[in-house]
Amino acid sequence: MIATSELAKAAKQAFEYVKAQPDIQECEVFAAADGALLTRVNYTSHIPCNGVEEPKSTESYGIGIQAAVKTPDGITIGFGSEPSDLTLEGAKRALGKARQGAVRDPEFHSLPRPTGEPRTLADYHDPKLLHVQDEGLVEAGWKVVTGALRTFMASSRLAELAGSEAAMKRLGLILGGDVTMLQERVAIVSTHMPTVQVDESTLIMGFLTAMVEARNAKGSGWSTGTRLDHFTDEAGVDAATNAIQAIGGERVRSGDYTVIFGKQPVTDILNNLVLPACTASSFYSSSTPFVGKLGKPVASPLLTIYDHGAMPGFMGSKGITCEGLPTGRTDLIRNGVLVGCLTNWYEAQRLLRDARITEKLGVEAAAARSALLPRNGFRFGAGGGRQFDMPPGIAASNVVVEGAESSSLDELIAKVRNGLYVGRIWYTYPINGLRAGDFTCTVVGDSFIIKDGRLAAPIKANAIRINDNFIRLLAHIVGITKDVKGTLVWAADEVVYAPEVAVTGVHLDEIAGFMEDLT
Amino acid sequence: MARKITTDLVDSIKEMVHHLATTHARSFAHLTYADLRIEVAEGKAAAAENGSSKFSTEDYGFAFGVRVLAGERMIAPGYFGRSLGAADLDQLEKLLKEGLEKAYRRAMANGELKATVREKFGSLGDSLMDARLHPIQVRQEVVPAECEIDPRTMVLGEMVRYTTDVSKQVGGVHAHLKYNFISTMTQLSRELFASSEGALIDQAFALTQGLCYVVAVAGETSQELYDVLGHQRGWEILERGVDEPFIKFPPFTEFARVLAGEAVELAAAPALPSTDREVAVVTDPHYNTLVSHEIIGHPVELDRVLKMETAYAGRSWLLRTLDEHQVGKPVASPLVTAYSDPSLPGYGHYKYDHEGTPARRVVHIEKGIFKGFMNSRQTAAIFGGDPNGHWKATDASLVPLIRMSNTVFAQGEGHARDIIAEVDHGYYLVGHRIPSIAESRENFRISARKVYEIRNGQLDQLYRDGGIMADTKDYLMKVDAVGSDFRLYPIPNCGKGQPMQTKKLGNGGPTMRSRARLTGAVVGRME
Repeated sequence: MIATSELAKAAKQAFEYVKAQPDIQECEVFAAADGALLTRVNYTSHIPCNGVEEPKSTESYGIGIQAAVKTPDGITIGFGSEPSDLTLEGAKRALGKARQGAVRDPEFHSLPRPTGEPRTLADYHDPKLLHVQDEGLVEAGWKVVTGALRTFMASSRLAELAGSEAAMKRLGLILGGDVTMLQERVAIVSTHMPTVQVDESTLIMGFLTAMVEARNAKGSGWSTGTRLDHFTDEAGVDAATNAIQAIGGERVRSGDYTVIFGKQPVTDILNNLVLPACTASSFYSSSTPFVGKLGKPVASPLLTIYDHGAMPGFMGSKGITCEGLPTGRTDLIRNGVLVGCLTNWYEAQRLLRDARITEKLGVEAAAARSALLPRNGFRFGAGGGRQFDMPPGIAASNVVVEGAESSSLDELIAKVRNGLYVGRIWYTYPINGLRAGDFTCTVVGDSFIIKDGRLAAPIKANAIRINDNFIRLLAHIVGITKDVKGTLVWAADEVVYAPEVAVTGVHLDEIAGFMEDLT
Repeated sequence: MARKITTDLVDSIKEMVHHLATTHARSFAHLTYADLRIEVAEGKAAAAENGSSKFSTEDYGFAFGVRVLAGERMIAPGYFGRSLGAADLDQLEKLLKEGLEKAYRRAMANGELKATVREKFGSLGDSLMDARLHPIQVRQEVVPAECEIDPRTMVLGEMVRYTTDVSKQVGGVHAHLKYNFISTMTQLSRELFASSEGALIDQAFALTQGLCYVVAVAGETSQELYDVLGHQRGWEILERGVDEPFIKFPPFTEFARVLAGEAVELAAAPALPSTDREVAVVTDPHYNTLVSHEIIGHPVELDRVLKMETAYAGRSWLLRTLDEHQVGKPVASPLVTAYSDPSLPGYGHYKYDHEGTPARRVVHIEKGIFKGFMNSRQTAAIFGGDPNGHWKATDASLVPLIRMSNTVFAQGEGHARDIIAEVDHGYYLVGHRIPSIAESRENFRISARKVYEIRNGQLDQLYRDGGIMADTKDYLMKVDAVGSDFRLYPIPNCGKGQPMQTKKLGNGGPTMRSRARLTGAVVGRME
């Protein structure tokens, strides 16, 4: 992998060249090297399999240049990149593409400028994760597989159901998922921040799903971390344990229920609904249900949500954004009131100058300024990594959900008394568009019926669909637990440090009755 | 100075790649199979918002991927992928060799650990088997792209002007249009596949697409709509539209203006009420495009059927075990036939998949009886049947998955107007919008762009924010009319895999009629 010092040297050399060009008004050079190592797991006791299905990796490095170009028709802004070439020749090719693609954008005012906030996170990566060898990649996958297999083998419940150890495989034991390691190195320098800044980040995550398929029982396990030494078989063990606990799932009738959403559903709802609604570009395009509501209540006073990209030890942390600005804490919803947006420099600048800002945000520019600090300009892509070949977009980093009156999960279950604990949902989409707030999803595992203040029985997987509205959900929160865990959902950029959240009146519909009679 | 990357590069590296995949790869002691995929693309794109230019680019893509099956005690897979640049050209052979060696080391380590775990876990280790591929006919062929206006000849500045003009025209449709985003792209790509078995396949593809996203607001209600016009052709499809037997589009400007007009009309329409009971629903070809995608295409991908996507995209209700599945059983009304066909035109067209298998039509449902799955060589070796060529990746550096080609409902004999006219009371769903499908695809909820009430065989009230929800098998079994108006549409963003691969593919069908619950907006429960 390309050394950070090489990226820094290349960025500086490119910057000196580009800024010296007479037609360049301002410019930004972003050099990056990314490695994504991923071991995909597929174990099935009843179908021939490889166990570790795909030990694989992708690598890329290169240089990206944003340039504001002086032309007879005014200033144009363009972006160009060149892969696998950190020499001056590569920088010239990237600049040539930026010039060629430059357009007159009336909403472009400048490239990012310092915000006055200091950088607080440096030297936080794990050097071991930057040097994982082929064998280490494969071993990480088998570590979670063997964790799950040991758990299955040790289960007296499974042995009893199967009748013998030899027959256990006929229960249809499944383990799927992956172990992913990301290695990210970046260097950035620009007209308004002319000292080269560098950042190195590493992370490792495991995301596993286990099933006892003959009993339609599914369980999840996951782990997130920044250090290789901390990676264990926890995710495989948890997934298998939770699948075994889900045996004997019952159907639930259609109706309105008080539901405790577990950490994964909270993360899924944030990833697909709440965070997109809190993103500056959604306000700009009038496509968020929070249009005109900055500074106004949008949720129960119990709820606080913030993004914090500089939290030491958290998996999504970075020292700087992909715009060279410090990461930090951005409050989105504080005690139920919308107080901030996720944004990058460009979106913040154009919203603050938008003639319709009062209609879009609900306040004038002066009042909106503190809510639009560009701490989330990232160039995430290709399944993770900070990509040199794209201009910055907007992405969350570590999202933390907190309650005003936090309780333990047992206390929350006791408080709900009768209802449902929903531990994993799937395909959570704003079915009528984000602004309408209507959403739907199905309950796919890790879920239980709450009766008389305790978990009484598992809920059958894939037997209920939630049909509701997330604005209504946010307003009807009645409890939030205090313990959070870094939680992932498929294809998300951010990690949500999620608690469990209880909501009243959640509408469910019973589905897929025909599966009971399928032969 | 680094040379320029163009799709012509493939001509100059073909023999070297063939040699690496055969002679060099075969020199590895415990290798049973290897393949190399290289992709070179030349593309251009432009974007505009609210009548202003926002972005344009002209660039190349260049990447390779390697698969190796190897092992001493057990055979296992290993992969490697990398993006490349112009500066890599002079050392391309060395980089490809390194990629092969890394994939080989991973396969070897994987095979060793597989053997160890198999020995350690008794009966639970029995299912850990050698990785095998079903045999195929090994081919060598060059497949050219089809287009009138070669993407390489398009002038980027002209694309910027065109795209910005479309955005301006869309913005002028109505004052209620608060936002529009328009993007266009055209590209030529060339894929080279070489395997240790001797395959050498060079396929080129032209692809052009226009995307329109609009937000209309009327008082307290809004409509966000988006749609794409696309085909495996050149820029001519945006300027002139498409008029083929199965694919019909107006010119892109008209396409985008119509979508904008719909958003305005819908923002002023009432929300669809939900129903607790099933009603008669007639669905148009555009809506059935997404239905065929979600409840036919995905559940017949044999990798997910064999549980390989359990943690991500889910499984399939069509198979519980290798001995317990729906093949040969009724899963739909006798009026329903559905298939995947890479020989049809559009986004799902290709001649060979990404492991060199000649692609062919595979029938999934024939007159209501379930017949079979889309597969790959690996999954065919496990489940049985010949490979039908559906193993595809979105980039050469990524590992292929089983993906749809053109997955469709076959046309019937009815006229769409008669299918509506026969309904005393029901609903007509026009255009697909947003899906949410249960994990094994046993239930679905899909919203429509427009929903009309049908009264006495006539279209009546228009509703916004509505769709239908149904259990898959029940819905398919209740189909009582299938039209002759078969259409194919592009799906630009099908997500599958880890890391997520967002793929372009084709789906379609005719007008159909069945029964389902209406799912409308959540109103009346908000306080």
